[in-house]
Amino acid sequence: MLNVTNLNTYYGESHVLRDVSVSVNQGEVVVLLGPNGHGKSTLLKSICGLVDQTKGRITYQNQDINGLRTEKIVNMGITYIAENRELFPYMTVLENLKLGAYSKNARAYEKENLERVFELFPQLVDRQKQLASTMSGGEARMLAVARGLMSNADFLCMDEPSLGLQPSLRFEVFSTIKEINQQGKTIFLVEQNIPQITDLADRIYVMEEGSISFEGSKDEALSNEHLKEIFLGM
Amino acid sequence: MIFSEDTILLMYEITDVIISGLTIGSVYALMAVGMTLVYGVTKAFNFAYGEFFNLGGYFAWILIVGIGIEMGGYVTIFIIVILLMLAVGYGLEKALVSPLRKHEDWEMKVMLLTLGLGLFMSSLYMVIFGGRMKSLPPIIEGTLEIGQLVFTYQDIMIFFLSIGSILIFGWLLNNTRIGMAVQAVAQNPEGAKIVGIPKERIFASTFAISTAMVGFGGVLLSQKWFINPMSGSSIMIKAWVVTAFGGMGSIRGGLYAAFIIGMLESFVGWIFGLSYGIIALFILLLATLTLRPQGLMGRGE
Repeated sequence: MLNVTNLNTYYGESHVLRDVSVSVNQGEVVVLLGPNGHGKSTLLKSICGLVDQTKGRITYQNQDINGLRTEKIVNMGITYIAENRELFPYMTVLENLKLGAYSKNARAYEKENLERVFELFPQLVDRQKQLASTMSGGEARMLAVARGLMSNADFLCMDEPSLGLQPSLRFEVFSTIKEINQQGKTIFLVEQNIPQITDLADRIYVMEEGSISFEGSKDEALSNEHLKEIFLGM
Repeated sequence: MIFSEDTILLMYEITDVIISGLTIGSVYALMAVGMTLVYGVTKAFNFAYGEFFNLGGYFAWILIVGIGIEMGGYVTIFIIVILLMLAVGYGLEKALVSPLRKHEDWEMKVMLLTLGLGLFMSSLYMVIFGGRMKSLPPIIEGTLEIGQLVFTYQDIMIFFLSIGSILIFGWLLNNTRIGMAVQAVAQNPEGAKIVGIPKERIFASTFAISTAMVGFGGVLLSQKWFINPMSGSSIMIKAWVVTAFGGMGSIRGGLYAAFIIGMLESFVGWIFGLSYGIIALFILLLATLTLRPQGLMGRGE
């Protein structure tokens, strides 16, 4: 479904991603792990057209998407759910959700997706008229995921949706992601830690210093000595 | 007889001043909304803003005096001028401003560019139209008399047309998909990109709408004042003061500020003479910014 081949991304002078190649197949949950600041978010942003300097090949359903504007990529069915949420602070929950369905591809399904999102996050139903800026961290994160789903995308790039949440909420977020996946969405998920995602991941990539250092199933990841060292400190 | 004749005369004069303040204030409001819109969405200033005010006036002058369009009267003129202003604004944004956005620190570059553009436009007006001021016929002649009070229909029209345009604009901003997209870009440009809003197109449209608003203001006020090729910078300063006083990027703040400043100008002009108006304006701005740096309704940092 999505193939990234020899991708190099730069932020001005600094070379962030070095010859990164990953692929995600339809219906999978692929997890990208790695320490903070090693380029995981940059890979997601490169896929979604949110970074300017990218070299290499990115194809989605056999179409070249590297260098396209974000609005085109969103329209093709890829959405980015940001680590820092990127909500519209002075708009209500409902307005945020409706803007999530801005792209042409999503407009016709706005009502349908709104119902689905409210089913998935019943907590948002009562908060429709609340301003996004007045929500707690956990609620805002839910709203960010919900807004991403409103885009009617088939391919979700999720950037640490569990960041900063207490363990019980984290568990809830991951089970929601599982549910979203079972509804037919393909998910490329960035996380920092192995144990949290063991139930979720079909395959795992690990990124260190801008390169992919490991690729395999979650069993392989769990038995890999090097990964144990970086993630579990063992 | 409760009041003496002098008192009654004074009250009429005050009423006149208030009406003049309301009329001018309404056009300032239109201009401030246009300016705050561009600042709110792009975080850059358009320093050629005052010249677009005059451009609206000149367009109307060409249509009325130059070509002599009579069909449909001022309605036709308004429509043509607004369409021309939209086209000019969109074209300039795409041709001059948008290439700058690829560079770092582009907000500053846009200010310098528009400053130069303003000087260029004002010189161009001198070359094309000469230094003599032009005047436009009033939208509507006649006066409305209520007792001893006399309102000109022109003032009433200016007031309602400005306020009407602001209300229509405000409604569109809150009730249409594109309006919400404009607000989204203003509140969080990265978030707007993520949901698939074409940011570049919104920037250009915003610039075009703001240009049309100030150009429309130019047509309205040029019937009261004159079209003066050199007046752009002082209009720009007024629009800027109203915007800063109201709070950068706050449309409601700009509205309040416009009427306060319109009134202030009228009263100071009446009591001390016209040239004191701009001094009073700056005293008010300095006082506000000292006590409340974010302006009346600004959100602060």
